[in-house]
Amino acid sequence: MVDHVFTILSIALIIPISLFLGVMYSFLIRKLSARFQWRVGPIVRMYGDLAPVIGSTRIWQPLYDILKLFGKDALIPSTAHKRLFTWSPYLSLFFSFAAVLFIPFPGLPLLSGTPYSLIIASYLLIASILFTILGPAASGSPWGAIGARREVELFLVAELSFVASLFVVAVTKGTLVISELAGFVGSIPMMLVTALAGITMFAAMLGKLHIKPFDMPEAECEIVAGPYTEYSGKLLGTYFLAKVFVLYNMVALFIAVFLPPLSSSVLWLPLYVVAALVLIFLLAVVHVLNPRYTIAKALMWYTKIIVPLVIVGFIAAFFLRVVA
Amino acid sequence: MKFESDPTLVDFVRTEVVPEGTSFRALHENRVAVRINAEDADRLAGRFMSRFNARLIHETAVDMEVEGFDMVYIYDFSKVKDRLVVVLEARISKDDPSPPSIAKITWQASWAEREIHDLLGISPRGTPDPRKQFLPYEWPNAAESGAAPPPPEKGPSGPQEKWIPLGIAPNDAYATLIPIGPYHPGVIEGQTVYVKVEGETVVSADIKTGFHHRGIQKLIERRGYHKGVFAAERVCGICSAAHGLAYVTACENLYEAEVPDRALYLRTLLLELNRVHSHLLWIGVVADVIGWKTGFHLSWGIRERVMDIIESITGNRVNYGIWRIGGMSRDVSKELAERVLPAVKALKAEMAQLLPEIAAHSVVKSRLVGVGPLSYADAFDGGAVGPVARASNWRIDVRADNPPHAMYDPKVISWEVVTDEGCDTYGRTLVRVKELLVSSEIIIQCLEYLAKTTGDIRLEPKVIPVNSEGIGLNEAPRGELVHYVRASEFNMNLPQAYRIRTPSYRNNALIPKMLVGANLADVPVVMGSTDQCLACTDRFEVIREGGGASQSMSWGELVALGRRGRFGRV
Repeated sequence: MVDHVFTILSIALIIPISLFLGVMYSFLIRKLSARFQWRVGPIVRMYGDLAPVIGSTRIWQPLYDILKLFGKDALIPSTAHKRLFTWSPYLSLFFSFAAVLFIPFPGLPLLSGTPYSLIIASYLLIASILFTILGPAASGSPWGAIGARREVELFLVAELSFVASLFVVAVTKGTLVISELAGFVGSIPMMLVTALAGITMFAAMLGKLHIKPFDMPEAECEIVAGPYTEYSGKLLGTYFLAKVFVLYNMVALFIAVFLPPLSSSVLWLPLYVVAALVLIFLLAVVHVLNPRYTIAKALMWYTKIIVPLVIVGFIAAFFLRVVA
Repeated sequence: MKFESDPTLVDFVRTEVVPEGTSFRALHENRVAVRINAEDADRLAGRFMSRFNARLIHETAVDMEVEGFDMVYIYDFSKVKDRLVVVLEARISKDDPSPPSIAKITWQASWAEREIHDLLGISPRGTPDPRKQFLPYEWPNAAESGAAPPPPEKGPSGPQEKWIPLGIAPNDAYATLIPIGPYHPGVIEGQTVYVKVEGETVVSADIKTGFHHRGIQKLIERRGYHKGVFAAERVCGICSAAHGLAYVTACENLYEAEVPDRALYLRTLLLELNRVHSHLLWIGVVADVIGWKTGFHLSWGIRERVMDIIESITGNRVNYGIWRIGGMSRDVSKELAERVLPAVKALKAEMAQLLPEIAAHSVVKSRLVGVGPLSYADAFDGGAVGPVARASNWRIDVRADNPPHAMYDPKVISWEVVTDEGCDTYGRTLVRVKELLVSSEIIIQCLEYLAKTTGDIRLEPKVIPVNSEGIGLNEAPRGELVHYVRASEFNMNLPQAYRIRTPSYRNNALIPKMLVGANLADVPVVMGSTDQCLACTDRFEVIREGGGASQSMSWGELVALGRRGRFGRV
């Protein structure tokens, strides 16, 4: 009974925490890329004369951008399949938020102790991205169709690396429960395999989060806004909110699975924050340093570099399991 | 410096180049005007190209009022004789204005013939592409007011095919027609490139311009010579110096011009500063198009410093307003030159370090190498100019072949023409990167001269004679720029005709050719690789549709139109 009450309380608590952290991560990526590019970016301390007019900080700029969309009309193109087009953003948001509940946060294990929670979480994340493909494909716009097509192609390779890297760790440690993975440091060979899987996971994150060399599904110079071309108003806002949760999820899942035991206890919270900041910093650096690949070159990059690494990881994990 | 011509040229042209000409006239500065029979135009074009390796600069027509039209063909003979430009002129009647087409001989005249048809109603006989150039294809049949579009004409690549997203007939299901433009984030200015894709591979492409008509040529014809320079500068906001210089060169060509040396150095200085900021802008745009915001911001950050230098010299950032016929209106003092010099040197050092690094970035290379191929033969036949032609290993540069009225004498200023054999977008990048360094070297030499010497910057303006012709050639950042002015026979102050042929006009015509076979992701890169300037390409008059009297809109009506909601609410 106490357990259930605690779980319900922690679920109520994780909603603001995940939203806050997701917005913060988006803010950091924007601010860091701006500083790398000789720009100002969202202002942390507003200039004195402007502060009375627009508030003392713009840390919440990513959230304001989303909230602004909720105040606008949503247009539905006449060529669209209406039901799929309208529901996809909400389902995408639903699944990305549902995944939040299966990934532990320091002090809040949530539902991560459920059997097979690793599989559940990765399925929910995949479902969220699936609906960013289905909605645009139903929009009737050629830009949306091409964006969705690129998203599918990228999805195939990025998702493969994502799931495979998670399973390398799962095989190494012999469990499919995230809370167990989050608390299980293991021996030095295990840590090495986990580190290797962490590298491939980072590469998969680039594709899933559309970090720069892999942002071709929404390449604005080529295909307007790609999947989001026909979306506007609340529907677009919902998609962007889903993206914020996906960003939080990816960082949280990375730390939980690849950096144990940072997610296991509230005492690790400071280190958790540092790890998240380092991860966001790395993502921002990659984002800034690279132009965009074409989709064919992105597929080539994943299949030539990441997939062999994942296979090496699997062999090593299998070896560890059989020998140990 | 006094710009003199070679008196033997008329004889050379009469005996060797155009023996069938009816009258020969030496224009100022190595230009020879030849009057021919209109029916000979296509035959002569073929002979010029094959025997003399001549290059068509422009084909245009002048309205001579009751006397008919004058067809004007401008050829560059600088490969045969130093700086020789031959202007063929043929009178045709207004009753049946259909001279033979030369676009069927050399494809590069195609856009010019479409333009002549749009402007004056002359339809060249046998032209391969008779569609409208600046007017809408359907004009004047279908208005925008919801009338059904006419059945598609059969064009070279069928741009009017109906586009039905995700609902294509089964037979066409393998291909999608995608309109890039008129307003598209990849290209800031308005034009439409129709690309037909199968999967992501482009199978055919077509380009439609005509979204920027401003009537600048007509404006110049009605302003008088000395005011026209300000209108000419406003053809383009990026290469305004090139247009200013081409304008004054054309007007100085009307009489035996003399320009003080100091003014020539000032002109070179401004033109090269203009080239530096334009090329930096281009590198930024291409970085943005391949999705590299960092490259964009770095390159535009440097460009901002060039703009500051330009502002300190001329007082303006974009349209300098200091070009004058016969000189310049504003000097660079010794103090200013000495202050600017270290800034330019620092800039050059920074560019020499940063730009090769940008060009060597592996992902940048993977996006640019082999994209938008244009062989030397295609570039020659299609009439590519500027960095696009030079990247196809064609050593063509107006500053060397046919210099404008500025200081490009290799004995005084050391500089070189940059070429590359890449024949692709990466080659165009390298050409521009190297040109940036060459240009900054020229700027440093000019500034050193200006700091050391003093002198006049403008001589007393002379009366511009009637019945003369001037051709202002100039190397704009995007390539060869031509201003053609025909002085009136009666009026001392207004030209009879003014024509501008910009470099983007030529290079844009090649975009469909470069696009075929490209990946859809590379389409904006190819489009950007010519550094297209659409403000330059479309500079003609707006004709409102509707057939009746041209109707104008009041300010209030425009505002009301802008505020109308999407359901027609006001």
